[in-house]
Amino acid sequence: MKTKKIKMVQMLDDHAIEVSLPNKLGDERIAMECSASFAKIVGFLPERIEDLKTAVSEACLNAMEHGNKNHPETRVIINMNYRDHVFSVTVMDQGEGIQDFPHDIEQPDIDKKIENLQTPRGLGMFLIKRLVDQVEFNQITAEGHMVRMVLRLTG
Amino acid sequence: MNQETEINLEKEGDITVFDIQRDVTAFSESVFSKAYQDADNQGTKKILLKFYEDAYINSGGIAILIQLLAKTRKNNQLICIAGLSSHFKKIFNMVGITKFAKIYNTVYEAVAVIAGES
Repeated sequence: MKTKKIKMVQMLDDHAIEVSLPNKLGDERIAMECSASFAKIVGFLPERIEDLKTAVSEACLNAMEHGNKNHPETRVIINMNYRDHVFSVTVMDQGEGIQDFPHDIEQPDIDKKIENLQTPRGLGMFLIKRLVDQVEFNQITAEGHMVRMVLRLTG
Repeated sequence: MNQETEINLEKEGDITVFDIQRDVTAFSESVFSKAYQDADNQGTKKILLKFYEDAYINSGGIAILIQLLAKTRKNNQLICIAGLSSHFKKIFNMVGITKFAKIYNTVYEAVAVIAGES
């Protein structure tokens, strides 16, 4: 029986890397570390690299859990691109996105979470929004659902 | 790829220190529950969560920590945190954890402050 080989990490050109992950919680760390290495090479400061790592990790987790609904045969594709001092990352899953996507990502209500009036989960999108310079959630393309995040190299 | 959480309970006077090794994710729930149950059974009133600078903590792990804070609040226990990297100090502050658990730079600093609290 032939098994299909999939390249997990590919350098697409001098400015772009693609990571293809199996839909397995924990494997988001591969994309996270890959983005960190790329950002370090192009000159991001350690503090911004930590922001990027968390944002990439949370976007991948959302893609695995909510987009691909934990189906093990699906994949999450992460594209990283650095041009003109702009580092952009897209995280794509095979889901259909959210129909009634909220216009505003609210600050989590820690009091309600502590009092068990609100789920303690649901922090991922809030963290992404706070940690990157720009984010576009719920982008629907022919290939699937995508989140696009941008960090700018300044100074 | 997940590195399973390991928590060792240590005593610093009347403080129970949760020495938290490896990843803190949604998979950490049972480990945190057991550690808390053991500490609670010992009658602890003060808990210190000791993290390491290189810890990987994601939103699933933060949710587990929020559940732990809820338990300590319900049982009138003091809980605080030490050892986090500056990035995760920022994250914990963003989500509001610092409202319920004070963050110290080191275990030594935390113990010095909370040992005297009743």
